[in-house]
Amino acid sequence: MNKSLDPRVNRLDLPQGELTPKVPLDQFGTFEVFVQLKEGKGYRHEGSVHAPNIDMAFLFAKEQFSRRLMCAGIFVAETRNVFVTGFTEDKDSIYNHISDDFPEDGEIENYEVFHLNKRGKQHEHIGSVPSKNHQHALAQAKGEFIDGPPVFNIWVIKTADILFTEEEDMIMWNTLHEKKFRDASDYKAADKIKAFKERQQ
Amino acid sequence: MYGGGNTFEPMKATGIENEDPVLLAEFEARIERGEKIEPHDWMPQLYRKQLIRMIEQHAHSEIIGALPEGTWITRAPGFKRKLALMAKVQDEVGHAQLLYSAAETLGKPREQMLDDLVTGKSKYSNIFNYPAFTWADSCFISWLVDAGAIVNQLANARGSYGPYCRALERICAEESFHLKYGHHCVIHLATGTEKQREMMQAAINRWWPPMMHFFGPPDKASVHSEILMRWKVKMSSNDDQRNQFLDMYVPKIWELGFTIPDENLKKNTVTGKWEYTEPDWAEFKRVINGDGPCNAERLAVRRTAEERGRWVRKALLTPKTEYVTPLA
Ligand SMILES: [Fe+2]
Ligand SMILES: [Fe+2]
Ligand SMILES: [Fe+2]
Repeated sequence: MNKSLDPRVNRLDLPQGELTPKVPLDQFGTFEVFVQLKEGKGYRHEGSVHAPNIDMAFLFAKEQFSRRLMCAGIFVAETRNVFVTGFTEDKDSIYNHISDDFPEDGEIENYEVFHLNKRGKQHEHIGSVPSKNHQHALAQAKGEFIDGPPVFNIWVIKTADILFTEEEDMIMWNTLHEKKFRDASDYKAADKIKAFKERQQ
Repeated sequence: MYGGGNTFEPMKATGIENEDPVLLAEFEARIERGEKIEPHDWMPQLYRKQLIRMIEQHAHSEIIGALPEGTWITRAPGFKRKLALMAKVQDEVGHAQLLYSAAETLGKPREQMLDDLVTGKSKYSNIFNYPAFTWADSCFISWLVDAGAIVNQLANARGSYGPYCRALERICAEESFHLKYGHHCVIHLATGTEKQREMMQAAINRWWPPMMHFFGPPDKASVHSEILMRWKVKMSSNDDQRNQFLDMYVPKIWELGFTIPDENLKKNTVTGKWEYTEPDWAEFKRVINGDGPCNAERLAVRRTAEERGRWVRKALLTPKTEYVTPLA
């Protein structure tokens, strides 16, 4: 290969021959990420990350979903720990299809409930219910939310399966507003163009 | 940044003859109503395949596109430019992650996409197979290649697949910074010394042909592309996107006193369309098939990064977590 124009690439000392082929599909786990834009506002699903453990998932989520604007909190949960209901459409709320029966096993602990309120949008955190298991949590949520606007899909996650932002972690967003260089508004140049055009005349 | 989800050789026609006509009609009615398709919805095989290919290529383009610009971080003129370029390159890699996630919801794992990138099985935007010789080249990329990408991404953001649209919404919001930053850099050179102006003009001359390639060859009318338009996978023709780009940016380049190396370039006042010398599509084909100035280097950098980072990933890999398809 020719010498690169990139000094960093030349320092890499790229090997000439074949590399050891990659082991296929040595994959990290999948985590769902929820973000709170402002204190007091609700958490909303923003996307997913892959990570070897939940702490790193949290770090990746921070890098991916809170580079600019505001962020007051993030939480992450492993995707396989998200209990997902079926989907409904139009005016038919999924709560109409949730059974009031649930298995009796499990100790009472908190479960977080997320609603999909509009097709094409993201799931939003709606609250938590003390329950014995995921189905129980759904039945409890039904009692509370069935009379509200229709919900088309519900996610339930055991609170203990979620990594929340700790109070002391919040300082990592303290400097967000100082990073003006990440913002389009920091690159005004209309005056320069105007002066340039005037000089040309 | 990205261009040309539609620029590569068409897929071997996977027809829709074998699809259930009732489900297909419901699917098309949903798109017709302007609703998004979500991962749990029924969808034709052709729709799924085409979207995976398109979103995956888009993601690869973000990763590979970070290389020619990344080259210039250490040599960017001054601390402010270094900060900005670092932030931009970080955004681009972030875009790749968002896009891989969107493609994964269709059933192809991220690792498989990365495998297909390093083995050369999947493509990425052809423009990144060209080198960034000077700082002005990196300014051209930041401003105009990103501008081209934005034309493409804004169109795709109106498409039918929910997760892709949501990823593009985030991406487009960040692109506005890339565009303004790039323009700022070019204006700085344009209004600077003779030497700076010459350097910028030389970069424009170098990058114009790949920029014209960027949106892909003129689309041939085919049943295939008609279906993809109806399904809102392909949102506008390559030529329409190229025309939109020329319309928005040629005046802005001229305004800075630069020339564009195509004497036939002008807007037809009757049709409202731009006329230009047809770029060399044979070269485009040759480069896309591997024979460009930087193809080998780009892939070698990715492969080496993969090989040398392997022990870290291996050390981190725990059986306690599990790969599954992302939810939305
Ligand atoms: Fe880009
Ligand atoms: Fe960009
Ligand atoms: Fe990008």
